[in-house]
Amino acid sequence: MRQRRGPWEPRQAMEIIEIRKSITAANDIRADALRRRFARQGLVVLNLIASPGAGKTALLEQTIQRLGATLAIKVVEGDPYTPLDSERVTRAGAENVQINTEGGCHLDAHMVEQALVRLNLAQTDLLVIENVGNLLCPAAWDLGQDLTVVVASLTEGADKPLKYPEAFTRAQVLVINKIDLEPYLPVTVAELRANALTVNPELAVFEVSCLRGDGLDAWCRWVRERVAAKPRPGAG
Amino acid sequence: MHEEPYTQALLDLALREAGGRRIVAIRLGVGQFSAIVAGAVEVFFRHLSAGTPAQGARLVFETVPLELTCTACGRTSGLDGGPDAPVRPALAAALRRGCPCGGARLTITGGLGFDLLGLTVEGGDS
Repeated sequence: MRQRRGPWEPRQAMEIIEIRKSITAANDIRADALRRRFARQGLVVLNLIASPGAGKTALLEQTIQRLGATLAIKVVEGDPYTPLDSERVTRAGAENVQINTEGGCHLDAHMVEQALVRLNLAQTDLLVIENVGNLLCPAAWDLGQDLTVVVASLTEGADKPLKYPEAFTRAQVLVINKIDLEPYLPVTVAELRANALTVNPELAVFEVSCLRGDGLDAWCRWVRERVAAKPRPGAG
Repeated sequence: MHEEPYTQALLDLALREAGGRRIVAIRLGVGQFSAIVAGAVEVFFRHLSAGTPAQGARLVFETVPLELTCTACGRTSGLDGGPDAPVRPALAAALRRGCPCGGARLTITGGLGFDLLGLTVEGGDS
């Protein structure tokens, strides 16, 4: 006769397994494979993260317009819905693919893998992956990028690096946008820069206005230097 | 919404590590500053794990405190006030205060992540 057991009583011996892995371990493996692929192709890959409206797409448009004649730039556009940003990037002059996450709050390596099926990366110098507008989780999901660039606009206030430390800790580059609005705002570029460097002292910082054009030469020079410094696969 | 992909990833990882055995409990390390809400993970887990060997598994959440490391001397420190104190003002104060060694540069080295610490599985084999 079968003995009746409550669900709390083990049916058989239990085994405890120690694991200690990041929840994103599977994504990290995919991202590493992407990174190796990008390295073989000699591509520089940037993961562009920011809150909605900080100016990720505006920075991209300016970068494409200024560097598009000398660098082959391709873009993966991430948004919850609509092809609006993809259309902007196309008008700016770069071949791109749009990922719509249907509400998902970040891109992951699998989504990028899938998107790249639709994008020819041959003869490409720079691939920019524009993440979903969000300062929380995009930083935690590796996409195989060389560098993570966080865009923070002055209109968001100076305290975002302290409130969203993960994005600023995991990034290597900060672009402070909308500096032309400083005279009209109660915050200063210096405060935002200081808070960002407090959270991550290693950040390279650029101060720009994508609307007026300030600081974009320095940013574009940096991008060009990154491309020039990237090892190329053997010619032929 | 934000916890859904994390929960799917933790479920996938747990199922792979369990190798087909029934999972009874999942121990998770939630960084104090990871932006993960345990209650939301529970809700998604109930739905996503249905029909898998992890269905009905108990989720055990452990808070991983924020860790700061001095980039000058390598000393690590935590935040004042323990794991339940509001993090943001304490973090801002600690980062601004810097390290007692005089090097003002502290960087966050722990408490941001979301980790699978371990599993309790039914010992099915042999």
